[in-house]
Amino acid sequence: MKKYRLIFATFLIGIAFTSCEDELNIEPAQEISTEVALSSGENVENILIGAYEEAGQADSYGGDIQMLSDLYGFTNEATWRGTFTQPRDVFRKNIFVDNSYVRDIWLNGYEVINQANLVVDNIELVDEEEQDNIAGQAMFLRALTYFDLVRLYGAPYEAGQENSQPGVPLSLEGVIDYSGNLEIPRNSVEEVYNQILEDLNNAFEMLPASNSFFADKYAAKALLARVYLQQGNYTGARDAANDVIENSDHSLTDTYEEAFNNEVDSDEYIFAFQVTTQGGGNDLVLHYAQEDLGGRGGDITVNPEFIEMFDSETDDRSSFFYESDDNGETLTSKYTNQFANIPVIRLAEMYLIRAEANFRLGTSIGNTPTEDINVIRERANANLLDNVGLDEILKERELELAFEGFLIQDLQRTMRPVGDLEYDDERLTFPIPQREMDVNSLLEQNPGYGQ
Amino acid sequence: MKKKLQRLLVLMPLLVGHLIFAQEKVVTGTVTDSDGMPIPGVNVVVENTNRGVQTDFDGNYSIEASVAEILVFSYLGFASERRAVETDDVLDVQLAEDAAALDEVVVVGYGTQSKRMLTDNVAKLTSEDIDEVPTPSVQSALAGKAAGVQVTQTNGKVEGGVNIRIRGVSSIGAGSEPLYVLDGVPLINNNESNNGAPTNPLLTLSSNEIESIDILKDASAAAVYGSRGANGVVIITTKKGKSGKASLSLNYSYGVSEPANLRDWLNADEYIELFTEAAINTYGEEEGLAVAEENFESLANGTNWRDGEVDTDWQDLIFQNGFVQDMDFSVSGGDEKTSYFFSGAYNDTKGIITGNELDRVTARANVSHRLTNKFNTGLNMSFSRTNIDRIANDNAFVNPVQAVAQPALSPAYLEDGEPNSNTLYPNFLLQDKYAFYNTLVRRVTGRAFAEYQFFEFLKFNTDFGYDLYYQTEDQFEGRLVPFQATNGEAYASSVATESYVTSNYFSFSKTFSGVHDLDVVAGMEYNNTNRRFQDVTGIEFPTDDFQTIESAAEITDGSGEETGNSFLSYFARATYAFNNKYLLKASVRRDGSSRFGSENQFGTFPAVSGGWILTEENFLQDNTVLSFLKFRASYGQTGNANIDDFASRGLFGGVSYNQRPGIAPNQAENPLLTWESVDQFDLGLEYGFLNNRISGEIDYYLKESDGLLFEVPLPGTSGRPIINRNIGLMENEGVEFVINADIFQGDFTWSTSFNIANNDNTVKSLPTDGADIITGQNILREGEPISAFYLLEYAGVDPDNGDALYYVNGEDTERETTTNPNEANRIVAGQPYAEWIAGFTNSLYYKGIDLAFTFQGEWGASIYNAGGVYQSANGDYYDNQTADQLDRWQEPGDITNVPQARFFGANGTAQSTRYLQESDFIRLRNLTLGYTLPDHIIEELGLQNFRVYFSGLNLLTITDYEGYDPESTSDANQGTGVSFYSAPAARTYSIGVNLKF
Repeated sequence: MKKYRLIFATFLIGIAFTSCEDELNIEPAQEISTEVALSSGENVENILIGAYEEAGQADSYGGDIQMLSDLYGFTNEATWRGTFTQPRDVFRKNIFVDNSYVRDIWLNGYEVINQANLVVDNIELVDEEEQDNIAGQAMFLRALTYFDLVRLYGAPYEAGQENSQPGVPLSLEGVIDYSGNLEIPRNSVEEVYNQILEDLNNAFEMLPASNSFFADKYAAKALLARVYLQQGNYTGARDAANDVIENSDHSLTDTYEEAFNNEVDSDEYIFAFQVTTQGGGNDLVLHYAQEDLGGRGGDITVNPEFIEMFDSETDDRSSFFYESDDNGETLTSKYTNQFANIPVIRLAEMYLIRAEANFRLGTSIGNTPTEDINVIRERANANLLDNVGLDEILKERELELAFEGFLIQDLQRTMRPVGDLEYDDERLTFPIPQREMDVNSLLEQNPGYGQ
Repeated sequence: MKKKLQRLLVLMPLLVGHLIFAQEKVVTGTVTDSDGMPIPGVNVVVENTNRGVQTDFDGNYSIEASVAEILVFSYLGFASERRAVETDDVLDVQLAEDAAALDEVVVVGYGTQSKRMLTDNVAKLTSEDIDEVPTPSVQSALAGKAAGVQVTQTNGKVEGGVNIRIRGVSSIGAGSEPLYVLDGVPLINNNESNNGAPTNPLLTLSSNEIESIDILKDASAAAVYGSRGANGVVIITTKKGKSGKASLSLNYSYGVSEPANLRDWLNADEYIELFTEAAINTYGEEEGLAVAEENFESLANGTNWRDGEVDTDWQDLIFQNGFVQDMDFSVSGGDEKTSYFFSGAYNDTKGIITGNELDRVTARANVSHRLTNKFNTGLNMSFSRTNIDRIANDNAFVNPVQAVAQPALSPAYLEDGEPNSNTLYPNFLLQDKYAFYNTLVRRVTGRAFAEYQFFEFLKFNTDFGYDLYYQTEDQFEGRLVPFQATNGEAYASSVATESYVTSNYFSFSKTFSGVHDLDVVAGMEYNNTNRRFQDVTGIEFPTDDFQTIESAAEITDGSGEETGNSFLSYFARATYAFNNKYLLKASVRRDGSSRFGSENQFGTFPAVSGGWILTEENFLQDNTVLSFLKFRASYGQTGNANIDDFASRGLFGGVSYNQRPGIAPNQAENPLLTWESVDQFDLGLEYGFLNNRISGEIDYYLKESDGLLFEVPLPGTSGRPIINRNIGLMENEGVEFVINADIFQGDFTWSTSFNIANNDNTVKSLPTDGADIITGQNILREGEPISAFYLLEYAGVDPDNGDALYYVNGEDTERETTTNPNEANRIVAGQPYAEWIAGFTNSLYYKGIDLAFTFQGEWGASIYNAGGVYQSANGDYYDNQTADQLDRWQEPGDITNVPQARFFGANGTAQSTRYLQESDFIRLRNLTLGYTLPDHIIEELGLQNFRVYFSGLNLLTITDYEGYDPESTSDANQGTGVSFYSAPAARTYSIGVNLKF
């Protein structure tokens, strides 16, 4: 009995104090470490896919950049009727420094930029024949993001000027070490544009002519056309747009309607963010559509003032609207499928850019401005024009590209007022987000937003 | 727990004893108390032998003993009695109640200690404190009962999260919840809700099976739990069988509940008045009227608003009369070798908010058996099933409470009885009718234990504990639900978290030379927790009749993940008492955890404490007034490891883009991340006067939390918005005062207990040269309390033009005002945590009638109403407004705090102190009035006890706070101390009956 007891006690104590320190090593099952992520070409390519996903989120090209760019420009054309105060304040051109949409566009934008930077930094890990393609795409995404950030958070680019006004901070190296001081100051608008041009020119050289739904050579070129136009570099804009029209395989869809709500990119899309039922944000449908289409009932409603701008009764675009079941107001038909891709660059824009640049330069590279405008109008079944002037070209832009995020940039570029505000009014530049001012002492706030 | 002590006492006698029993015989007798009532379970031991028995249910015992041997009779709460065996075979004994009522036993982790000899601060609550409070949450029942323990239920939802703060908030970014230990098993306490609002994981506990709750408040007590003790430890001990005849008790109660408070909102006429004026102020007379009328027309949805056809009281639709139904039974009993306790309970609660319900079944079996008088073993096992019908989180349009934003002009229902879908905001009634969100939690918690007494002074315990928290959620939204655009959507999730723990320790206990008492506990513990989660979302259903994922034509989302953590710990504790007068204690725990990087995987947490019982000294021993006086002091270190499992690492997670796999960074690396460590110093005084008729304690503490874990905002340009860092130092300093008194004794008894505690929280240092850390409306600033409110200061209304004004609060412009909120600077304007909390409990008894009630009070906190910019915005937008907005500025000279009504005017709607208010309150937390039938009637009925009672919860609230409830804040993670369409607490009236056979 005693013996049994002793054995039993020893057994108990034995199991009790058996070391189990190995049990403290538990590794995450859903994640990998930064070291692993940056150790293989396969993972670097994965990071690029991640950067597309990031850029396609609702905070960025999943809709908020486009939506706020239009709301910022709307006066009578459309009204923000929704309940959210942050877009409403943008529509009112009276933004508080803690506006969460303004904050999130910034944060998301720099997440995309950092991911693109990581791809560029580690490109040598990728198979050599893939390196140009992968790095080129990262540069495209970085340029796209910087272009929208600098236009929203920096005072307008003034053609032919020095453009030393503060733009946004340029971060060009991927951050993986978060232990040091991460504060960086704003670069000038000029510096940011120079970086964008460098990235896009490189991307154009490095990317293939077609690249499935990812950015290709002509996506870079088309964006280059847009940047040059914003800068008033009409030669650059014209030649780039012409290159895309003539050399890329893109073509306008047969009807205007077919250019929108496509779950697979249409031929007209030079670049689009991909949305599926399983991923990708679409805040455009959320705010522009009625509830049974996935919207909130119609937060942004179209006013008669906009519809009256159409000068042709047969113009399909003049009836590309519907009445909301929820609030009875007029809504645009551009966003009626919540799982449709979001086009960022359509070929139609290239015709508009070439027309405007040719007109301003008095040239007819590719085609005459009138012919280019009529290509757009013909597709929409609008009557054709005989001889267009700058006003007609700009108006055509507005009619064709409405609700696609062009308005405030076009108004500022052409120095047209926004309601009562001059194009360069302080209120037409976003504040640097308060949370960013709070954590980065090197940032300078934009005028009109406190210290 | 009493039982445990009894076992100890039984085992105490030495093995070596008298070997010769010349005149052994059987001694029998009855043990009674001073009133002559038999006491069951009294230990009867022959001194200096290992022979011992316990009295049966009628107080009878029978033991073999020889003449001249000494019998020792002992029972908790009574003075021990030593009696010599004489020639008589019958020896009846009357035990006197122990004058030192302070000598209750507290559970301190890996053992128990007498409160009298304790050098730590431990608050003990018993089943009486929590029974009969009509709420399904055990934790809610603790409110006001223990000094320095703040209990707050987030809001009025039945499953709502409960926050318990012991001596203030000692962490910022890590968890602030105490560690819960149930019968030695650390409980899983992770919120697993997926609808944006937390559920309370401890809802699975039923109060009927709880014997006691011991709250370890100071570091000296909690240090034995090391890296998990920083927020205090709540030790829950379940009931055990008492030896004797089996007893069966049955309890049933039923109560009705209603919101504790309602607010006044504009009716249809008032809405028309205010909004017509607002539109005219913005657009001018003619256009304004047109805008307003167009709006009214649209809101009225075809009804005639001009004639007041519709005047919907939306608030009335949001809230409903709920009920709480409780029934439970328990059987307990045992003999010398075996004791058992079985219980079952059912709770059925219908919440006060439309669509919110809960029902719960719990069962427990606790069995222990003594194989030999050295070897004791047993099993505690419980399971529960909690079924919750949930509603949306506070920050969702279909949160029912958000319906207060619907103008009264809008009909709630159409003529055909369907909810009106053409409302300003989505009509929650559609959600209520065509959608559901059901959460089902199954929980199994158990512990197998064995205890072997090697020698009288040395014992070995080994425990194996297991806790399984298995939750499923099922959601379906039919076609008519607001925002539904995919022919129905279903969501299903399943999460199983299991934790097992093995604890093995030796306990040594010996008295040397009659005056040196030494107790030592030393051992190890290993705890492993594993969590598996899966969920899936499907859309496109054939009809609304199909509501499970199976019928979804398209699966749009799914996930499966696994995570885990482990803790390996070694601990030791020694307590020493000299002459029952001078007390010393020291403990240490060494913890390792997988949550921290390999560089910082282990931490050591020591504590020391000492005490001096002055009343044991000669100069006070005979003092008739002062019956007990003890000084104690303690210092200890604990840790807070309550963070994400892999918080220190730089991580990339998987993402998908157009069905292509990718990866993206999702956490910034900080290899230096380590525990938060909390150093706490406590100085206490315990007193008793007049034979301890008046007793209590006074404590001062200073608690410093160092290396606070925090999600520090990073410059966005770095690509990550936040990083986990150990950023700084915070201090909680406070005093606690407790007084208990038996005001009347005898036929009429009245005992009262009052506690009040002050806690002063200060952020002492922050990294990056002490730069402020601002998150939404909350700021961390050196010298200010944690998460203080940081807001523009509202300066009221310009009497000349009705403009809302804000103080500029610039460096040179202190009291200047501006109408432009962007020109004004924010200030620290209050704090979200109470500085003073108090509880006042009274128990009265007279001839079968008992009355008990608890008042609870809190002072010094404020609540920011984030919904204020919509609810009380002087007609800024279409939302219905609080009735106080009628007091708006209308003409020059008007003195008011409500600016001129301006539709779309943003006049006063910046986030400012306009929407911040102090939330001091005193609340009659619960009250119970009962009647017990007289003994002779009970006996005739063949019962042991029969009692009926009325019980109420939140019967009365005294506060100046104008929101729904001074304790309700948002459950949608909108900041600390922020309320957002948050429902008030329930007020419940309940009646019940207790039966005991």
